[in-house]
Amino acid sequence: MRDFPSPTRAYLDPGAPAPDTRSPGAFVRWLFRVQITIWPLSVVFALLWVVPPTLTPWLLGKAIDTGIVPGDPAQTWRWLGWLALVTVVGALAGVANHTLIVRSWVLAIFDTVSLVTNKTLHLGHVLPRRTPTGEVLSIAGADGDEYGGFMEVAIRAAAEFAAYVVVASIVLSTSFELGLLVLLAAPVLAASAWPFLRPMEKWQGAERSRTSHLTSQATDIVAGLRVLRGIGGESTFGANYAAQSQRVRRAGVRAGAWEAAVEATGVLLAGLLVVGIVRLGVAEVGAGRLEIGQLVAFLGYGLFLVQPMRTFFQLVQKWTRTRVAARKTTAVLGQEEPWRAPERARVLPVDGDLVDEEGGITARGGRLTMLVCGSTDEAAALADRLGRYLPADGDDAVSVEVTEGVVGRAARAQRARAEAERARRARRDAERAARPWGVSLGGIDLSSADLADVRATILVGDASAQLFAGTLQEAVEPHGRLTRPQAEAALLAAAALDVYDALPGGWAGRLDERARGLSGGQRQRLVLARALAADAPVLVLVEPTSAVDAHTEAAIGERLPAARAGRTTVVATTSPLLLRHADDVVLVRDGRAVTRGTHAHLMATSPDYRAVVVRDEQPADAGGPR
Amino acid sequence: MSAPETGVADLADFASHSERTWREGGRPHGAIPESLHLDRPRAAGLLARLAAWRDRHTLRTRLAEAFSARQFGDEVGLPIASRADVTAFLRDLLWSRRRLLALLVAVNALTAVATLTVPRLLGALVDDTVAHVAAGRGAQVASLTAALTLAVAVTVVVQALLTWGARTTSAVLGQDVLASAREYVVGAILRLPLSRVESAGTGDLVTRMTRDVSSMSVAVRLGLPESIIGVVMVSFTLVALVLNSPLLAVPTLVCIGASLVQVRRYMRRAPAGYLYEGGTYALVNSTLSETVEGARTVEALGLAGPREARGRADLDVTGQAERYTMSLRNLLFIVMDIAFGMPRVLTLGVAAYAHTRGWVSLGQITTAMLYIGAIGEPFDQLVHNLDRLQVGIASTTRLIGIASIPPDRVAGDEEPANGDLRGRNLRYAYREGHDVLHGIDLDLRAGERLAVVGPSGSGKSTLGRLLAGIHAPREGTAQVGGVDLTRLTTASLRREVALVTQEHHVFIGTVRDNVVLAREHDEVPVPDAEVQRALRAVDAWDWVAALPSGLDTTLGPGHQALTPGQAQQVALARLVLADPHTLVLDEATSLIDPRTAHHVEGSMNALLTGRTVVAIAHRLHTAHDADRIAVVIGGRIAELGTHDELLARDGEYAALWRAWTS
Repeated sequence: MRDFPSPTRAYLDPGAPAPDTRSPGAFVRWLFRVQITIWPLSVVFALLWVVPPTLTPWLLGKAIDTGIVPGDPAQTWRWLGWLALVTVVGALAGVANHTLIVRSWVLAIFDTVSLVTNKTLHLGHVLPRRTPTGEVLSIAGADGDEYGGFMEVAIRAAAEFAAYVVVASIVLSTSFELGLLVLLAAPVLAASAWPFLRPMEKWQGAERSRTSHLTSQATDIVAGLRVLRGIGGESTFGANYAAQSQRVRRAGVRAGAWEAAVEATGVLLAGLLVVGIVRLGVAEVGAGRLEIGQLVAFLGYGLFLVQPMRTFFQLVQKWTRTRVAARKTTAVLGQEEPWRAPERARVLPVDGDLVDEEGGITARGGRLTMLVCGSTDEAAALADRLGRYLPADGDDAVSVEVTEGVVGRAARAQRARAEAERARRARRDAERAARPWGVSLGGIDLSSADLADVRATILVGDASAQLFAGTLQEAVEPHGRLTRPQAEAALLAAAALDVYDALPGGWAGRLDERARGLSGGQRQRLVLARALAADAPVLVLVEPTSAVDAHTEAAIGERLPAARAGRTTVVATTSPLLLRHADDVVLVRDGRAVTRGTHAHLMATSPDYRAVVVRDEQPADAGGPR
Repeated sequence: MSAPETGVADLADFASHSERTWREGGRPHGAIPESLHLDRPRAAGLLARLAAWRDRHTLRTRLAEAFSARQFGDEVGLPIASRADVTAFLRDLLWSRRRLLALLVAVNALTAVATLTVPRLLGALVDDTVAHVAAGRGAQVASLTAALTLAVAVTVVVQALLTWGARTTSAVLGQDVLASAREYVVGAILRLPLSRVESAGTGDLVTRMTRDVSSMSVAVRLGLPESIIGVVMVSFTLVALVLNSPLLAVPTLVCIGASLVQVRRYMRRAPAGYLYEGGTYALVNSTLSETVEGARTVEALGLAGPREARGRADLDVTGQAERYTMSLRNLLFIVMDIAFGMPRVLTLGVAAYAHTRGWVSLGQITTAMLYIGAIGEPFDQLVHNLDRLQVGIASTTRLIGIASIPPDRVAGDEEPANGDLRGRNLRYAYREGHDVLHGIDLDLRAGERLAVVGPSGSGKSTLGRLLAGIHAPREGTAQVGGVDLTRLTTASLRREVALVTQEHHVFIGTVRDNVVLAREHDEVPVPDAEVQRALRAVDAWDWVAALPSGLDTTLGPGHQALTPGQAQQVALARLVLADPHTLVLDEATSLIDPRTAHHVEGSMNALLTGRTVVAIAHRLHTAHDADRIAVVIGGRIAELGTHDELLARDGEYAALWRAWTS
């Protein structure tokens, strides 16, 4: 039988079954399918757990009628024995059932987390282009739990339906009239809370979405705390938070009042059912058609039937929310990668020239080329092109979540628009990916090589490169392939020994999430060390020292050529402390090469170049007044 | 030029230290002990398996307790309050709502009474019926018991109404207490001492504001009122059981009493278990959020394998936590199921005997059975809610802890005589005995621009913080106009000097909220015209005016998005309105890097004009443009003078400058 952890490897391992994302329902069915070894057994144990208690009132009635009333101890003991057995079986089955339910629930969560992880790893930079990060994370954070909860309710509902049938046969065989009353009343009771469900769900939804807004405000305050405490604004944003907090409170109170109404209706109708049973039952007893113990048993059933009804409500409510969750999940998991493998993939050389035809930019094989661009964005766009990354189009990822308060047709329309837009972008990405790329390495266009080959050959260290939590050693060489001297050399070349020094435990020192505990400059140098340690045949770096002080930058500039000796390296920068160490420098304007040469040559000949690099129209060493 | 590294005194030191801490072949071992792995060999035989399970459970208990001890140990950044503090805090919150609380208890007591009256009436009905049938009035029994039946119906209606009232009151109270609690916590965060804000990372605070607030919210919103309901319901049911027939109540009291041993054991273990579980899920989420946010990096470096492995390792740990809490619950459930099932059997046994002796009537038996059937759920709920409450209180200790941080300064009533900033013999240490600054003297003339350059770790940022009044020097004085910076009130310090860092955070709020900040306490709200002027000064008015609602447009994630350049301008406009005479720019190079957005340079100049500026500079042209330059190395000012003077000195700065310009 499947047991957790054992998360799914779908999307990474071609052999692992991928989820069915054609519709929310199909996805939920898939979740049940991959747990086929668990939930049928869960239902069995749930039956053993739920059905024995349904026998309790009957056994109780028997004990009263055959034992207590006639004063027959042997009969009393007999029924008491059965009652004890039923209790023990119920308790044991309860534990078994709980164990299996936890297993299903946890697996549903783990599978959801793994599916999102795997899809992210599979799509890479394409995913954040299309879906807001928060939406992706909320699937793993909340939706998995929703599926687990749905499975639990569904299994319980199945067992309780069976219990309902058992009760039905008992009551019908005891007294047809009373049996009919009990059985017909149950669905009526189930339906009666219906009118309250919609407003209840509406306010519950409002409470949830307002709470998530409130949480954003709190994290926003924490993130901007330096500004708030340094410059001011505590009252304004404190008041904003308090106002939203009160909105949450109001929604919560409204939701609570409707929940109370649902509960009270349940109490009222179950109570009235008991009244009905008593009224009818007493007459039956009077007429001698019913024993007094049987009447007591009927009272027990009247109260017992409330539970299957509650479960039925829960199932309906849960399904509504599960469907919403599944819609969000399929929207992410259903995305396809834009890349198609070339029919006959060519293998990229490791030492050819890297040429961007569109911009007329060439980085000679085995040399250190630096690009001086007009802006960071321009440098980033150029690096994307050189590394075959889809361009950042500047428009935000499309959210498929519907705004709070929009319901019904308007909500469907909003969702349809968002889905259409997302599909349009997916098509656009696929078209771009299918065309010749316009950048070649050693004369081979990047689109005619396998993407894996491109990634392994050309490493682009973009400005937003991220560090991950873990040890310093994992941060510098995440693959575990390097020898210690190689890693030390990378750290040294990136002038990042102070990071090593600052962490207790050296290589084993721990970085927290995204290495937040380090300063911007320290993070940037670790990113650089990691890029150098990867030792890719072609390395493209965007502004690798923008957050580093001049002293350290100078040190990095001196060490970089040796660290990349004989390998093709492209660095987008405007710092003369780096530029003076380049073999070739290219001045780029609007994505096109304007002029090229060595740093010294360009300093001497190109006023444009000087303007960007040392920002001084006059000869700099004259050192005139500002 | 000297190597920028400090601390690891030389490369030989580094090499030997590196050798000791390096782990050959990469990743450290998994986070969970070998014996907990799923694919371990299974013991043969039921007893052996049980023993093995016991061992694993003990091991997991240790893991959970260790985790929860870490959460509340000294390692975390911000302090943690004591349980007594939290209890006092909650007591105060409840006390200030004592009427509502009294109403909640009263309505619930009435609900309990109504709920418990129904079985009692039914019991009486059974007795009457039996009596009537025995007396041969079977045919009229329905009409003879009509009054009692009606009484049941009326009680049921009352019970339903009271249930609604009780639930609603509980929602009102729970939501109200929760809102006050979270607003109190945010208030405490907004009062955090400046030095604390600048030195501590935000990670711990973010965790507290997300995870701990949500756990507190479950406890306060549900756990607190439901526990009250549970206590009322359980105690009333027991009383009703005794009132119905003391004899028939004995088995229930004994069984429940016996089960309390296990319940207590569970309650002792459960909080650590659920903290552990919550903590491991937080780990899963943080790993996944790294993977998603760093999707590009993962793709570029081919990190899919390591990231997947990391995710699986997290799930392994989470699985252990889930197994642990599952076992805790199983141990509780089996005892509770027996404890609520067996009284029925035992009571019936006692009842059979007592009935033959004529001690109890059939009606009393019926009532007792209905009560016994009814006590299970509220007791179950009570345990569950006390559980929630415990976990919530644990989280609340972390939240209230924020409020326990004492202010880092006591303001005097002296006002600065002028705007001259002066540091004398400044020394500062983050760790005792490790001075980062070794006696720095510095005088700034009003309107002067001073650039501070130096290698990382040289203490230039610390110097900036002392000059901005964030930290008080360990020794020496940092004064403005003759008054210690840390003896000024926050309000007057902000008029004197502001520290500007690389972050230009845009808050979720309107453009006006985002800009007014420093002036929010003005007696008259800052007029739109002035906000406009500030935005114009930084060239931002054109695009702000074009926003859908102008100054009232909501900015921030999920609302109107700004380009980095626009965000910078908003940050600058804040400072224009704040109008301090001195600015300390730390790593603010991206703010003045002309290439990120060309027009921001003009905005920056508009801000700097007429102010004293200390610029901790990464870019040498910033230094070149300054009136004076201070080169800080190893916590001392190595060189101080104008650009020309320093070039003439031919020292550190001159060497860098030549590297820059040749």
